Amino acid sequence: MNIHIVAMVVSVVIFLFVIDLVRRRRLTFKYAMAWLSVSGGAIFFAVFYRFLFACAAFLGFELPSNFIFFTLFCVFVFLSLLLTVFLCQQNNRNDVMAQKIALLEFEIKELKKSNS
Amino acid sequence: MMKILVIVPAFNECGNIGRTVEEIRRVALGVDILVINDGSVDDTVEEARQAGGMVISLPFNLGIGAAVQTGFQYAQKYQYDIAVQIDGDGQHDASFLEKIIVPICQDQADMVVGSRFLEKTGGFQSSFSRRVGINFFVYLINALTGVKVNDPTSGFRAYNKKLIALFAEYYPQDFPEPEAIVVAQQAGARIVELPVVMRAREAGSSSIRYFKTLYYMVKVTLAILLHMIRQRRQN
Repeated sequence: MNIHIVAMVVSVVIFLFVIDLVRRRRLTFKYAMAWLSVSGGAIFFAVFYRFLFACAAFLGFELPSNFIFFTLFCVFVFLSLLLTVFLCQQNNRNDVMAQKIALLEFEIKELKKSNS
Repeated sequence: MMKILVIVPAFNECGNIGRTVEEIRRVALGVDILVINDGSVDDTVEEARQAGGMVISLPFNLGIGAAVQTGFQYAQKYQYDIAVQIDGDGQHDASFLEKIIVPICQDQADMVVGSRFLEKTGGFQSSFSRRVGINFFVYLINALTGVKVNDPTSGFRAYNKKLIALFAEYYPQDFPEPEAIVVAQQAGARIVELPVVMRAREAGSSSIRYFKTLYYMVKVTLAILLHMIRQRRQN
């Protein structure tokens, strides 16, 4: 089987899978954007592989596969950084909510105590 | 008459917390004692309540920084003039409570740190490895801010309204004490250190074990340096 076709099929499957996740509301569009861009780029390079070879040669990679691995590595480092930022944001929000809940729970108990 | 809140963060301090609250009630009349239960799974809450403390329970363990910050948020909401932080493990001698709030009552300080190293008053002086770590922070904080605090990891502290508002908004999270000094200094706070006596823990084990000392030093140093950079950029 031709490797280009395999690459194209895998990219299209990932692209469609992300769209399906958004459709089923398992993924919000905001966070799907990064994955759609990556899989869209993969489809582009799978179809226009000569452009991929030209890019690799232009940037000085001896083998196009090295260029692919390097690009993928950079993309995933960037994506994991983005996810870490998101994780920290959620963590902070969780802490703030937990503190507010604890204060409110205390106030409710005090109110009940003073009413009874 | 000043409104004083004693904030006691506690995580699984059953066996210590009751004694701590009772001791505070015995020596400091007219203060409110607020125990922040940081997701304990033992009888910390019951013990603290029976001893006469108010208890706010966080829904899960958030860490010492967020627990103390919850106390500041309460103090700010109910307009306390002074907040005193005391560890829930019984290490701090509450009889020094009145002493450490004096500079704040007299408006000579915004923050008072109770230090076990200021005078050779006896009591628990910490292990050798922790002393090395503590001294490192003494020099680091002094070099970065010009403030010399001899016991920067002490959790026995008092704060005025200005710092209550500051820390209700932002308080460092894990191992927050040394960084909190830097945060306060950057906000222009007057920091005073007074000698206190500390005891060894009576039950349970300290959250900072020996093998964690190095990790603690690296982490807090990075946190302090990052805070300094952030502060410079804001300025």
